[in-house]
Amino acid sequence: MEGFLDNSLKKQVRLVFEDMKEPVTILFFGSAAQCEYCEETIQLLTEVTALSDLLALEVHDLDEESELASRYHVDKAPGLVIGGGRGEEIIDFGIRYYGVPAGSEFGALINDLLTVSKRESGLSEETLVFLAGLKEPVHLMVFSTPT
Amino acid sequence: MVLAHRMALESPLVEAEAIEATEFRELVGRHNVSGVPQTTINHGARDVVGAVPEHYLVAEIEKALKKESGS
Repeated sequence: MEGFLDNSLKKQVRLVFEDMKEPVTILFFGSAAQCEYCEETIQLLTEVTALSDLLALEVHDLDEESELASRYHVDKAPGLVIGGGRGEEIIDFGIRYYGVPAGSEFGALINDLLTVSKRESGLSEETLVFLAGLKEPVHLMVFSTPT
Repeated sequence: MVLAHRMALESPLVEAEAIEATEFRELVGRHNVSGVPQTTINHGARDVVGAVPEHYLVAEIEKALKKESGS
């Protein structure tokens, strides 16, 4: 299959990834049963994670590994979890993507990977205080289109 | 980075899903997505349409939590 990322884009992304600090793992959940965009998502993520030694990709199946999927609250494919660390020590921050991270979502994904690696959210002091004071769970779904 | 993801990174109580709307039509219909981006808080307790500043989203989350606790 021909790659998604051309050399100039790869170079740009590599440059961004130079600032990474901690390892980051993308847990991909596909589904053999019904997933129109899984193949291309895997291809894209394989290319992206090859651009830094601090990045790893794990490919899982929603149906065959339902226990793992439910541990990460993933119920749709293609589904992605951006976790901290690698191997047995993955930290789940609650960061998920559903769908092919292409178009504008591609930039968001690259940025997410860097931010998770640096563990720097860049949020304001007020927001951090608010988040620190939370007592109940907050679930956010952000719908967007790849324009 | 998606603002919601920044919040998830900072708090173990926040979980944030970025959803590609054209691939998940059924979900879009269920959550009455009228424009993108739309942020749906706690499965519909509040919906925020548009790319909003940080303090605005915080205020909306506060409203959603208040609504749920009934105060």
